[in-house]
Amino acid sequence: MVEEENIRVVRCGGSELNFRRAVFSADSKYIFCVSGDFVKVYSTVTEECVHILHGHRNLVTGIQLNPNNHLQLYSCSLDGTIKLWDYIDGILIKTFIVGCKLHALFTLAQAEDSVFVIVNKEKPDIFQLVSVKLSKSSSQEVEAKELSFVLDYINQSPKCIAFGNEGVYVAAVREFYLSVYFFKKKTTSRFTLSSSRNKKHAKNNFTCVACHPTEDCIASGHMDGKIRLWRNFYDDKKYTYTCLHWHHDMVMDLAFSVTGTSLLSGGRESVLVEWRDATEKNKEFLPRLGATIEHISVSPAGDLFCTSHSDNKIIIIHRNLEASAVIQGLVKDRSIFTGLMIDPRTKALVLNGKPGHLQFYSLQNDKQLYNLDIIQQEYINDYGLIQIELTKAAFGCFGNWLATVEQRQEKETELELQMKLWMYNKKTQGFILNTKINMPHEDCITALCFCNAEKSEQPTLVTASKDGYFKVWILTDDSDIYKKAVGWTCDFVGSYHKYQATNCCFSEDGSLLAVSFEEIVTIWDSVTWELKCTFCQRAGKIRHLCFGRLTCSKYLLGATENGILCCWNLLSCALEWNAKLNVRVMEPDPNSENIAAISQSSVGSDLFVFKPSEPRPLYIQKGISREEVQWGVFVPRDVPESFTSEAYQWLNRSQFYFLTKSQSLLTFSTKSPEEKLTPTSKQLLAEESLPTTPFYFILGKHRQQQDEKLNETLENELVQLPLTENIPAISELLHTPAHVLPSAAFLCSMFVNSLLLSKETKSAKEIPEDVDMEEEKESEDSDEENDFTEKVQDTSNTGLGEDIIHQLSKSEEKELRKFRKIDYSWIAAL
Amino acid sequence: MAAGGGGSCDPLAPAGVPCAFSPHSQAYFALASTDGHLRVWETANNRLHQEYVPSAHLSGTCTCLAWAPARLQAKESPQRKKRKSEAVGTSNQTDLLALGTAVGSILLYSTVKGELHSKLISGGHDNRVNCIQWHQDSGCLYSCSDDKHIVEWNVQTCKVKCKWKGDNSSVSSLCISPDGKMLLSAGRTIKLWVLETKEIYRHFTGHATPVSSLMFTTIRPPNESQPFDGITGLYFLSGAVHDRLLNVWQVRSENKEKSAVMSFTVTDEPVYIDLTLSENKEEPVKLAVVCRDGQVHLFEHILNGYCKKPLTSNCTIQIATPGKGKKSTPKPIPILAAGFCSDKMSLLLVYGSWFQPTIERVALNSREPHMCLVRDISNCWAPKVETAITKVRTPVMNSEAKVLVPGIPGHHAAIKPAPPQTEQVESKRKSGGNEVSIEERLGAMDIDTHKKGKEDLQTNSFPVLLTQGLESNDFEMLNKVLQTRNVNLIKKTVLRMPLHTIIPLLQELTKRLQGHPNSAVLMVQWLKCVLTVHASYLSTLPDLVPQLGTLYQLMESRVKTFQKLSHLHGKLILLITQVTASEKTKGATSPGQKAKLVYEEESSEEESDDEIADKDSEDNWNEDEESESEKDEDVEEEDEDAEGKDEENGEDRDTASEKELNGDSDLDPENESEEE
Repeated sequence: MVEEENIRVVRCGGSELNFRRAVFSADSKYIFCVSGDFVKVYSTVTEECVHILHGHRNLVTGIQLNPNNHLQLYSCSLDGTIKLWDYIDGILIKTFIVGCKLHALFTLAQAEDSVFVIVNKEKPDIFQLVSVKLSKSSSQEVEAKELSFVLDYINQSPKCIAFGNEGVYVAAVREFYLSVYFFKKKTTSRFTLSSSRNKKHAKNNFTCVACHPTEDCIASGHMDGKIRLWRNFYDDKKYTYTCLHWHHDMVMDLAFSVTGTSLLSGGRESVLVEWRDATEKNKEFLPRLGATIEHISVSPAGDLFCTSHSDNKIIIIHRNLEASAVIQGLVKDRSIFTGLMIDPRTKALVLNGKPGHLQFYSLQNDKQLYNLDIIQQEYINDYGLIQIELTKAAFGCFGNWLATVEQRQEKETELELQMKLWMYNKKTQGFILNTKINMPHEDCITALCFCNAEKSEQPTLVTASKDGYFKVWILTDDSDIYKKAVGWTCDFVGSYHKYQATNCCFSEDGSLLAVSFEEIVTIWDSVTWELKCTFCQRAGKIRHLCFGRLTCSKYLLGATENGILCCWNLLSCALEWNAKLNVRVMEPDPNSENIAAISQSSVGSDLFVFKPSEPRPLYIQKGISREEVQWGVFVPRDVPESFTSEAYQWLNRSQFYFLTKSQSLLTFSTKSPEEKLTPTSKQLLAEESLPTTPFYFILGKHRQQQDEKLNETLENELVQLPLTENIPAISELLHTPAHVLPSAAFLCSMFVNSLLLSKETKSAKEIPEDVDMEEEKESEDSDEENDFTEKVQDTSNTGLGEDIIHQLSKSEEKELRKFRKIDYSWIAAL
Repeated sequence: MAAGGGGSCDPLAPAGVPCAFSPHSQAYFALASTDGHLRVWETANNRLHQEYVPSAHLSGTCTCLAWAPARLQAKESPQRKKRKSEAVGTSNQTDLLALGTAVGSILLYSTVKGELHSKLISGGHDNRVNCIQWHQDSGCLYSCSDDKHIVEWNVQTCKVKCKWKGDNSSVSSLCISPDGKMLLSAGRTIKLWVLETKEIYRHFTGHATPVSSLMFTTIRPPNESQPFDGITGLYFLSGAVHDRLLNVWQVRSENKEKSAVMSFTVTDEPVYIDLTLSENKEEPVKLAVVCRDGQVHLFEHILNGYCKKPLTSNCTIQIATPGKGKKSTPKPIPILAAGFCSDKMSLLLVYGSWFQPTIERVALNSREPHMCLVRDISNCWAPKVETAITKVRTPVMNSEAKVLVPGIPGHHAAIKPAPPQTEQVESKRKSGGNEVSIEERLGAMDIDTHKKGKEDLQTNSFPVLLTQGLESNDFEMLNKVLQTRNVNLIKKTVLRMPLHTIIPLLQELTKRLQGHPNSAVLMVQWLKCVLTVHASYLSTLPDLVPQLGTLYQLMESRVKTFQKLSHLHGKLILLITQVTASEKTKGATSPGQKAKLVYEEESSEEESDDEIADKDSEDNWNEDEESESEKDEDVEEEDEDAEGKDEENGEDRDTASEKELNGDSDLDPENESEEE
């Protein structure tokens, strides 16, 4: 029994990932991206989301690693705050309140206590780059109002700002000029492209900029596809630039590799270009990335790149230009024509995906399953090309059949239309094209539906078209002496007074077919294809049509464009009731009599759930979304819920999902709102993920010895182990996250002392000769500890444990240090 | 069968590789193969999610694995556990996987981060780990080993909480009771331990061989008369190496009963067992047992007391390759694992080879006692990295698919005359025609061979050839005639065609028109000729509409672009031909009805006889006929024009047929001109 709370609208379908450049962690294990009000932390290896950092109240607009502590992350948001996160544990460390809307964030290792943000001051269009001083006070919320102005009149996009050559200068581009601000001289140089004034059509507006990490070199991308490399820009007169030209369309983003030896660029061509040594000849390509490259970023370690694409994905690419992982949300590039469907076989949500594809999205795991290539033509991503669009799709007969309609219309009269019927082949577990129909209708197909009655002996499909006809297609036996085959043929063509057919729908048992012709609904007998009756309310064109189900199967519902919802009784052939409701989406629940209708008003969208037999709705929720809702679907639950309260019963057997105009997929949940994760609950996870450090080995070995002793004496008895956690110093050492710890030198004496107190003193023994007592720098130790965990495994042990303890008891700090610096492999095989 | 791990030569090691579905929604399937690799597959789309090679995978291969219950820390805040698909999609993830190795260490692998999480070594086992079980709530892990011990681990600190000797021989299997307070262990005997005190609560006799699997099958006792103490009255199941019987035991309140209450029989040693827990008395326990021979046995049984006889399975599932042709016989595909989906009505099957298994969701149909699924896994052998990253699946588009273009039968509804009787007639005719055609074909073959010589002697007796070709359906013969380009020759041939062959000829032409456009160009000539010459004959036929409906649709669709223009063009052509024909026939004598007979005879036997004269007379007769018909036609046409042309779904059959003709003759010339 689930505790019942208010029904809330919750987001699913992995929201937008491509808003800003993704950022890698220092060790390239994680990648961060902004996603609405959240920052998401993904693993670069498994593509899984490790953490979601929530705390911002508005769109997050920028993220950067803390240059002083690479285990921390800064984020800024339109809500006027900069937040500092511990991303490994997903904890908010600090909030800096700036006050004004922040549009982008930059950090610089040289500017230790300040970050740079883009703000807009007075006018809505004018943006400034300012530096914000972050105070070091220890409180959770800090005011950071100390803004110092750097650059004015800049572009809002963070792609148009770059810091170069270890923070000596900052470059900003806007329209036709590049401005460079030198921090030391505090001067700004401005370079304008000359050709922009001469030729009208030379589209060399700046689009993005990147700076070489070590040299004085600025790369800028332009609208016409050129990349310019600016050098010697200290001098206003003698500056030079060279051109690199491969892109035929706008350069969307540029990035230098960590060492600066190569430059990466990408654009609409969906090809990542790597320019080696900044020369035109040496370039490498990674083609067919699927969609426009919007952002490129490079990991600080230099081993990975990543590209963010317009279809809501992030591709992680190896240094050798091989894609290694894809983080994919719901594909959002293009408009959704097919609506939302459920594949009966995989229970996945199906809708338009990549161009020419259907995407299958698993709602249970909130993950894309795959894209099914329906059109199977090379997609040329270019502006102004009219593409073949996948406009309709429907599943039939328990997922055994898939019908798809694709169309391309360049001019009014030049319609290309094709319908494909795919059969699911169980042997190969995939779809196989069964019948391809060219121009099934003279005009666009407006509706497509299968007869999904359980008893129907013959699969039946109905298409309705603007040409005034609806066609009934049936599966027939096409066997001849050469092969056994089945194929679809047209069985019946119906029309009604030359009106455009706008909707079609089968009754639950498949005995009746309803087809709406503009304002008129016609009912046909599906056996003889006779026109049984017509309903006409003269209330505007029918927009949605559906039969009632189960006990309400005698009702037919129609929603019109004039905002009337009508319910007809099929037995009496009369209007049962109507209601004034501007219905945008009307979906019947396959598991119950319920029908969900979403109406659109000026303030937002409202949801109504009702039974056709009852005039009173079961459930009303106002304001489910500010935007227009375009599609909706009921998804049957695997395991039914058991809500008892009347208002929630409609959610028992199915879940309702809907898609808004901006293509965010939303659903209703009765579960309690997402609790703010308190640091303590997260801390537990941190403890759990404690790696086996050399410290652990020392303690573990010691404990093991004690275990052995005890085991010898009491074999069958229960053994309670002495708890080393009791010693506060050790537990503190082991249980605090590594990046919060003070330096090892400071800790060492404390650690040794704590051990001293807990043990009784024993006589010292010598340090074994085979220990390599090489002196190393103190600072290297901490790193070594981190990397240690997995390496140690199979080396032999010389039984040093005992010696160590005795040696510790001698409490010579220097000796302990020596010991800590030796090769750890000897501790291993415990 | 190599067992997973170092003890592969051990005859008493369990068969099969260690594998498990992730809990709850079965989103992942983890499989530790004998080469030491751990692979995690996504069950929904059969994609390799990640692969991990432990650093000591050769010395310490994985012997058992277990998924952690959904997010350990979830228990700290009870509300969080229930969240399912909130804005944050990760909360329900199960990310820890415990791997036991042949050397006694236990690895915790994080599937979210794709890296080793921690390693449980110290104070643990010093021999092969046989089984790992996570405790549902407490965040503890239990493991048993060949070193005779059972160890309780605290996962948060990665330390041993408790270690005790579980048996006098190696402990092979563990299971935690549904309430989390008891632990079953199987060594030489099956023991039930109280977890708090680590004392033995019950003994059961067990199996002769090492127990490979232990599982509680119920969470409530069958009779609820006594107050339920969490364990009494529960049933559990055990399977053992080399044992074809799965035993079911009941935990009783009195300590006497030590033998099994009932047993299930399967065909081979059980490799993987999954079951659905029954929540009430009426609901049967569903059990899926994967055997070493690659079959799955499904049992559905309400556990209720003793049963002497071993129960056999309700349903058996096997998978085999399709045997293509006669050469390759179907081969069985081994099933590696099977797990019930959360709706309890379908089963996830994992089959194929362990390095590239296929995962499929199969709906269960309890009525059938035997299910054999035919699956083609030949294309699964090469794992495709490309598709793994782009996630694009390409459905098969091959030439076997049927293609419907406008004009082809099937693209538009067939024109049916008055529904009931004619359909029967049609079907009769069809079936009859088919049957005869085979005989005829055989017969005609003989005739062909007979006549080959003769034909060569004659020069271009096209009508005869065509007639014979149409009767015998001889492709070559038809080709020879129909592929001519000479317009005059076509005209003459058509004129001399016997009337009864006109309809078959038209049908043959229709068929060819639907084919390649190059041949269609030639056919247009023929069609035009036939229709102008034989319009009158066609108009007399009662069942013209169903017979030539496809032709009509074809032409309709082909000339759609300039419909009006082609209508006009057709009409003009008709007029012109009519005028010229009437001029020609002036003064010529009409041969009368007798000529028809002559024609028939000629076609059957005398051919060499006085050809030229014959031809002439035929010509005349026919042309005469034609002109007459055209006059008729014209009159009718005018009438129709008055009626209005666009009326399409004609109810009246007569007018429909007339229209048909009109359309034909009208549109045809345009068709030709277009193609030229």
